[in-house]
Amino acid sequence: MKILIPLKQVPDSTVRVKVAPDGKSVVTDGITWSISPYDEYAIEMALERKDADPSTVVAVVTVGPARSRDALRQALAMGCDEASLVTADHAAPLAVARALAKVVDEAKPDLVLCGKQASDDDQGFVGPAVAEILGWPHVATITKVVPADGGVELWREVEGGHEVWKAPLPALATVHKSEKEPRYPSLPGIMKAKKKEIPERALSALGVDAAGPTWTVLSMEPPPVRGGGKILKDGDAKQIAQQLAIALRDEAKVL
Amino acid sequence: MKTLVVAERKGTDLRRVTVELAAKARELGDATVVEIAGERYSPLPFVSALAKKVESEKPDLVLLGATLNGRDLGARLAARLGRTYAADVTGLRAAGNALEVDKPMYAGKIRAKLRLDLPAVVSVRPGAMPLKEGAEAPQVEKIDADASSEKLTFVKLAATATAAKRVSLSEARVVVSGGRGLKGPENWHLVEELADALGGAVGASRAVTDAGWRPNEEQVGQTGKTVTPDLYVALGISGAIQHLAGMTSSKVIVAVNKDPDADIFKIADYGVVADVFEFVPAFTEAVKKARAS
Ligand SMILES: Cc1cc2nc3c(=O)[nH]c(=O)nc-3n(C[C@H](O)[C@H](O)[C@H](O)COP(=O)(O)OP(=O)(O)OC[C@H]3O[C@@H](n4cnc5c(N)ncnc54)[C@H](O)[C@@H]3O)c2cc1C
Ligand SMILES: Nc1ncnc2c1ncn2[C@@H]1O[C@H](COP(=O)(O)O)[C@@H](O)[C@H]1O
Repeated sequence: MKILIPLKQVPDSTVRVKVAPDGKSVVTDGITWSISPYDEYAIEMALERKDADPSTVVAVVTVGPARSRDALRQALAMGCDEASLVTADHAAPLAVARALAKVVDEAKPDLVLCGKQASDDDQGFVGPAVAEILGWPHVATITKVVPADGGVELWREVEGGHEVWKAPLPALATVHKSEKEPRYPSLPGIMKAKKKEIPERALSALGVDAAGPTWTVLSMEPPPVRGGGKILKDGDAKQIAQQLAIALRDEAKVL
Repeated sequence: MKTLVVAERKGTDLRRVTVELAAKARELGDATVVEIAGERYSPLPFVSALAKKVESEKPDLVLLGATLNGRDLGARLAARLGRTYAADVTGLRAAGNALEVDKPMYAGKIRAKLRLDLPAVVSVRPGAMPLKEGAEAPQVEKIDADASSEKLTFVKLAATATAAKRVSLSEARVVVSGGRGLKGPENWHLVEELADALGGAVGASRAVTDAGWRPNEEQVGQTGKTVTPDLYVALGISGAIQHLAGMTSSKVIVAVNKDPDADIFKIADYGVVADVFEFVPAFTEAVKKARAS
């Protein structure tokens, strides 16, 4: 089975994202970039399939600026077999999906695994959009993929449990979590990844225009700062518990 | 502005977010509420039916709840129609011939104001547009899901052992979350009893869901659920940036941690430096008393 994972490079989850002086974008100079967390889960899920069946081929692709190459290198170091970069500095979400659909047409994977959402725009658009362009079925927010007769079983987390869907191949799913934590690259993995070639081409070389329906950012702000809270420490546990319960009822009015 | 609201039910009742959206749509102008009737949600039959409706009604705006299914349906619908899509917005208003929305981005670390040209598809976070007292349930028009477009087969529903008897986490007005400080799943009765006393839902940090102490669906944070309750209680949680991303917009935050330097205290309205095993039972009792009198 061939699995293709479209991934996005985003500010690392530990970065305290700051608004740039223009008030409409975020500071990107000097920050740490990573593979978007749900895409890492998608990679882990695919590599778990490869662990179970070594004939599995796992490929990654990203549409993004030149720095995204590092995210691809990271994926190779985790154990992915192939990576390719489609360079674009700005592309509308639908244009990204169109480019990815072209890559899928060429690479002919059986299964495409996207992240449930990228942790910069928090949208969850590109996965379903790629499936739509390809005319494929998709299942969103899965936590497990199991090969089944004539396709795959996709486990989807819902309130109170999991829905299990059978999809014919090829199919696309968006990933919420893998069974295990995303693996760290091994030293041999890193060495191997260094030697692998990452072919690159421009969005326009795929015949895709960067334009598409999208929003205009009017402003960006950090969430309101919190703080100045009270620390309760006078008395024993029982006294503090009572103080707190009464404060929540009479002062904060949330009981 | 002409708006089409996509209704969602939980059991036999309309979800609260549907009522919230219908009220918002009426504020914006002409509103229609449709429910797609099918045995269970799956993308293609629902998108097909909804796209047909949009093509005949030509609304400027399609509104969905930013629920598990609403977000998925909205995304694929927007792709099919080639419309602008914004997911999980927390505010929206008309601005001339366009729409202005508030959208949390960067896992909640940034709040953006965006302008969307119409027509557009928008999913809205449950609870973000509170209902006025006595808001009426809207009239709902049913359309049938297009079963002929289905390519998936439903196999089964595998229920989680701890299936929620409580309110759902994303919609709860009170959330009590436990972290690694609770030491093990056998101590979760402390979290549950406090949640029950407060009438709230139970959440967890990722350290806890990763360890398998609690199911994934209870995880709060960047890679879990985003919650905005009136009251969030963090028990034995250190306050990692990825946890904060999912709960800092709560109205009131209470933190209990034995480490006075824990980061969670930086954002807490009420901090208690204490051992959870000692403090939580006493607090549960105190809450019961305070609510009774
Ligand atoms: C990409 C990425 C995504 C992530 N997403 C999430 C997410 O969605 N949600 C999330 O929660 N985390 C997330 N994390 C993990 C996060 O970084 C932290 O590791 C995690 O939140 C820690 O959980 P914790 O606070 O329960 O555990 P710890 O950090 O171990 O904290 C335990 C706390 O309990 C206190 N304690 C111990 N014993 C007691 C006692 N007896 N009484 C009182 N207090 C006590 C300690 O002082 C400590 O502060 C993510 C990490 C990454 C890299
Ligand atoms: N520029 C991109 N290149 C490759 N994959 C992407 C890109 N943007 C989004 N994706 C994929 O689509 C998912 C959802 O992204 P989004 O719609 O931006 O929230 C991500 O988790 C990735 O799997």
